[in-house]
Amino acid sequence: MKIQYIKPILFFIPLAVIQLVIVPLISISNIAPNLVFVLIAYFTLRRGQIYGTILGFILGFLLDIISGGLIGAYMFSFTISAFIVGYFYGENKIDINLSTYFLLFILFICGSINSFLFAVVSSSNSNLSLFFMMLEEGILPGFYTALFGLPIVIFHPKEGI
Amino acid sequence: MRKFLRRFVSDYKEYFLLIILSIISLSILAQNEKPAAKHLKSIALGNFALLNEITNSFVSIFKSDESRDDLRNENAHLMLELNRLQKYRAENEELRSMIAFKDTSMYPLIPAKIISKLITKTQGNYIVNKGFNYEIRKGMPVINDKGLIGLIMDVTENYSVVQNLYNSNLSIAVTIQRTNVDGILNYDGNNLIIKDIPTTYDVQIGDVIETSDFSSLFPPSIPVGKVLKKESNVLGLLHTVTVMPFADISAANNLFIIKIIPSKQINQLEMNLIK
Repeated sequence: MKIQYIKPILFFIPLAVIQLVIVPLISISNIAPNLVFVLIAYFTLRRGQIYGTILGFILGFLLDIISGGLIGAYMFSFTISAFIVGYFYGENKIDINLSTYFLLFILFICGSINSFLFAVVSSSNSNLSLFFMMLEEGILPGFYTALFGLPIVIFHPKEGI
Repeated sequence: MRKFLRRFVSDYKEYFLLIILSIISLSILAQNEKPAAKHLKSIALGNFALLNEITNSFVSIFKSDESRDDLRNENAHLMLELNRLQKYRAENEELRSMIAFKDTSMYPLIPAKIISKLITKTQGNYIVNKGFNYEIRKGMPVINDKGLIGLIMDVTENYSVVQNLYNSNLSIAVTIQRTNVDGILNYDGNNLIIKDIPTTYDVQIGDVIETSDFSSLFPPSIPVGKVLKKESNVLGLLHTVTVMPFADISAANNLFIIKIIPSKQINQLEMNLIK
C-alpha cells in the first residue's frame, strides 16, 4: 500500500469509532451523517479521482468489516460516490473546493448518492419505494453529511482565494 | 492494435478502475455468508469493537446507567411474566395446558450493553459486548425491559452483532394477542408493518402484538409492540397494520439476550430465509 494511503487510514480509525459510537446519539429518525464519507470526499478533492476511488474502496471495506454490516455495501457505495466527487477535482481548484461553501454542495450531492447506493445494495426489502429511498435514504442523510463539511470550510486555510 | 489498446486503457483508466472495483465490491457482497468472509469480519469486529467499547465507556460516563442494570434485568423478567399472565387471562387455561404453551420467562437472560450502532434507514444493527465466551450463539433473541429488540446474527469471542427490528432484512412471525391473528412483521424503512391481514379479521388500534407460537426463531409471547394504525388496500380486502414497537430501538442501550438454543434444523432454515 502506498504511503499516501496511510494518512487517510489514520484519520479513518478515530472517525470510524465516532461514526459507530457517537453518531447514533445525534441521528434523527435513523438519519445519520456519514463522517467517513466526508473524509473520503476531502482527500478526493485534494488528490484526484483515481486516488479517491481507490480510497473509497479501501475505507469502505474497512468500515464494512468493523461495523458488522454487509461486507461490500460501503465498499460499493464509497467507490462510486468517491468517483463522482472526483469530477469536482482540479489541480487549480483544490482551495476553492475545500475553502468555500461549494464543498457543502459537493458533499450533499455525492453524500446523497452514497447513502442511496448503500440502501440499494444493502436492503433486500422489495417493498421500499424508489421515492422513499431517494428521499429518506439519499437526500436527507446527504444533507446531514454535508453539514459536517462546515468545519473543513471554516478551518481550511484560504490561500489564494 | 496493442498501441491502440494501451492508449484506450490509458485514456479511460478511471472508468476501468471504477468498473473493476465495483465488480469486486459486488462480488464480495454476494459472498457475505462464506466462512472466509465471516472469519474476516469476526477478526476485525473483535479487535475494533474493543476501541468502540472504550469510547462507549467514556461516553457512558455522561449517561451513568450502570447502576440500573439489576433493575432493568428484573424489569425484563417482569415484562415477560406480565405478558405471559395477560395471555393466560385472555385464553382458556385448560386449552392452553393442552397445547403445552412454552414459557418464555423460564429462559435465562444474559445482560449485554450496546457498544456501537450502525445507523441507516434500513440496516439497523448493533454490536453488543457479549459473545461466544458468554455462550451467546447465532439466532438467540434479544430483548430489553420493554420488549423485543432483534436477533443475534453474528458472534465473535467477546462481541455479537444484533440485527434489530429496524432492519428490512428481518421478518418475524407475530400474532395479535387478543385475537390470535398471525402475520409477518417487517420493517418497510419507515414503520414496522404487518401486511395482508384480511379485513374480516378482528384487529383494533392498540392491540398488543407478540411473537407467534409458529416462530422457531423466537420463543412465543415476547411483546413486540401495539397496533398503531390499520389501512386497507384498494379493494378493501386486506389490511396493512402499522406496529409501534414497545422498545425504543433507536435509543436502546442495555439489552438482554435470551439464552435459548432453537431447534438446529429449523433455525438453519429460518436463518437462511433472512440472509
